Amino acid sequence: METILFNIFALLAVLSALLVVVNPLSRNPVTSAMFLVTTMISISGLFVLLNAYFLAAVQILVYAGAVMVLFLFVIMLLDVEETARRKLRLVSLTMGFLSVAALFGVYKSSLEATYVKDVDSSQDIATADEIDGFWSEYYAAATSVGESESLVTVGSTQALGKELFSSVNGFILPFEIVSILLLVAMIGVILLSKKDTK
Amino acid sequence: MVDQLKFVQLEMMVLVLGLAVLIADLWMAPSKRRLIGHLSALSLGIIFLFSLRESYVDLVNESTDVFFNSRYKIDGLAIFFKRFFILAAIFVLIFAVDFADRIRSGFSEYYAFIIFALAGMMFAASANDFSMLFVSIELITITFYILVSYQRHRLQSLEAGVKYLILGAVSSAFMIYGIALIFGEAGSLKFEDLHAKQSELLGSNVFLFGMLFLFAGLAFKISAFPFQVWAPDVYQGAPTPTTAFLALGSKAAGFVLLIRLLVISLPDLTREWTTLFICISAVTILYGNLCALPQRNLKRLLAYSGIANAGYLLMGIVAQSEAGTAAILYYLAGYLFALITIFLIINLLTKEGEGEDISCLENLNNRSPFLAVAMTLAVVSLAGIPPLAGFFGKFLLIKSVAIEAFGNIGYFVLLAVAVFGVVASIFYYFGIVRTVFWNHKVDEITPVSVGLPIRFVLVSCVVGILYLGLLPNKPIKWVESAAAVENKSLLE
Repeated sequence: METILFNIFALLAVLSALLVVVNPLSRNPVTSAMFLVTTMISISGLFVLLNAYFLAAVQILVYAGAVMVLFLFVIMLLDVEETARRKLRLVSLTMGFLSVAALFGVYKSSLEATYVKDVDSSQDIATADEIDGFWSEYYAAATSVGESESLVTVGSTQALGKELFSSVNGFILPFEIVSILLLVAMIGVILLSKKDTK
Repeated sequence: MVDQLKFVQLEMMVLVLGLAVLIADLWMAPSKRRLIGHLSALSLGIIFLFSLRESYVDLVNESTDVFFNSRYKIDGLAIFFKRFFILAAIFVLIFAVDFADRIRSGFSEYYAFIIFALAGMMFAASANDFSMLFVSIELITITFYILVSYQRHRLQSLEAGVKYLILGAVSSAFMIYGIALIFGEAGSLKFEDLHAKQSELLGSNVFLFGMLFLFAGLAFKISAFPFQVWAPDVYQGAPTPTTAFLALGSKAAGFVLLIRLLVISLPDLTREWTTLFICISAVTILYGNLCALPQRNLKRLLAYSGIANAGYLLMGIVAQSEAGTAAILYYLAGYLFALITIFLIINLLTKEGEGEDISCLENLNNRSPFLAVAMTLAVVSLAGIPPLAGFFGKFLLIKSVAIEAFGNIGYFVLLAVAVFGVVASIFYYFGIVRTVFWNHKVDEITPVSVGLPIRFVLVSCVVGILYLGLLPNKPIKWVESAAAVENKSLLE
């Protein structure tokens, strides 16, 4: 069942991602944006299959919701007609290929990373203790409880909340600073965009 | 959880003060806005006294694990920088009160933003983990986006704001990408863990790549060479108190993070990259000083001199030693007093935000001898002429590099460039002094009125410049102990 669902979501994600950039039927940016929504939703489906429920919900709320609305606003504010007629340029094609190649380079060398080798060669969970923080807890959870059950606890909203708010972990401090940051940003936006009233 | 709150007591006080200023605005009459500014400066003064208390300084001796799982750190370095930031914010707040007439709306928000930026800097001083680093840097930068574009009716201010926003966002993107690569490789966000396995990490290209990106992000904050283009436009367009705080706070926050990351956590990496840092430092010094030569706008000139100063401060990172760190602290202290003095005087002389040209200083010695003397002392200190604060700062930096210099030709090149930079800078700094005393094309002799709070700031800055220059024994001991506590905890 899971494999079938995975295949469906993966296929949908890749297909609609392709249709965002190379759509043979339409070069309308709004169509591309709509296919981007489909991609986001399929990816969040993949997250659900990985037991990352919170991430799945956030993916839909933030990306398919907020970010997409922003994209659509920008598209509608700009001149859509002109964008539709623009030809592909050689420079942007080469730049695209180059950045993809660079990403592959990074990916390849990350496979050669030292600690991955350590874990692979010894096949011993104990070495995982060397990998600090989140991952050590992940491995500890994976060994103490059954595999599938532990995955559920790691990806759940509850686990994330504990990670963020427990005083043992210390993430509470940066988390609270972010709240101040949001307050500052909110007041700033109002100040800079309101009409000038004395 | 609650028992850990005592470690962030200073920051909590600052944040509560910021919120109180926001709320106080609701029932204070607009005519009392000077009072809000002065009161918040006074409260910051009280918080400064709190940071001097023994029970706070004693927190240094606590084991590091208790500080939010060692994501946050209180040590000599952090306490020094916290005091530095609070002092800078007090001066800038008094400055901002004087400036408030030129902001059309949102006076108390302006004070509140300065206080929130201060909180971000204080968190940055203690950041010992990438999540803290990023969040505190963002708190500083996003607050400054708003502070820079605060004079919405001035096109220049808006232009500066947009430029700073776009370039700042790009630099943040670099930084977060670098952090992601580092986390992927090291498996931890804590600086202490990086320190523990640095020899292992040095062999990994992904890690080095990530560090390079992170350094690019931080180099933007301190306006070091390839990432300096924003500085002149933003310094010139921003409201003057913002410029002063940006030049001091943002730069110092970048340096405290660089010290913590490069000198303390990853000394092996910095040793490997010595040539890179020598090049950046030398080119930054040359670029700043040479570009400052033809400038006529005072704020623009100070922006270029700020770039040059970032280059000098990077010499302390290159030195890779306790002495280098101590020299950075000493230099920053002298820089604080000189910069506040100069910006305050520029502000006093250019009432409508126009004519920040160097000619506004003409005839100053007849209009106000006190301002003329203060300006001269500050400028001469920046130029690094003995016996003022700037001289000892530069001297300590050059000395710290010279001690390391044996065996690497690059160090000698850096020293030569630094000395050449000092000589070149004398040219434009003394152009200012000449205008103050000898260039009298305009016969304007209206005396400049200086309010009591501003006079207080100016006098304390002048005293600071003279004290750091004439009696350097005690301050050198302070900065050395601030730098030393750090290394002691490392050796354990």
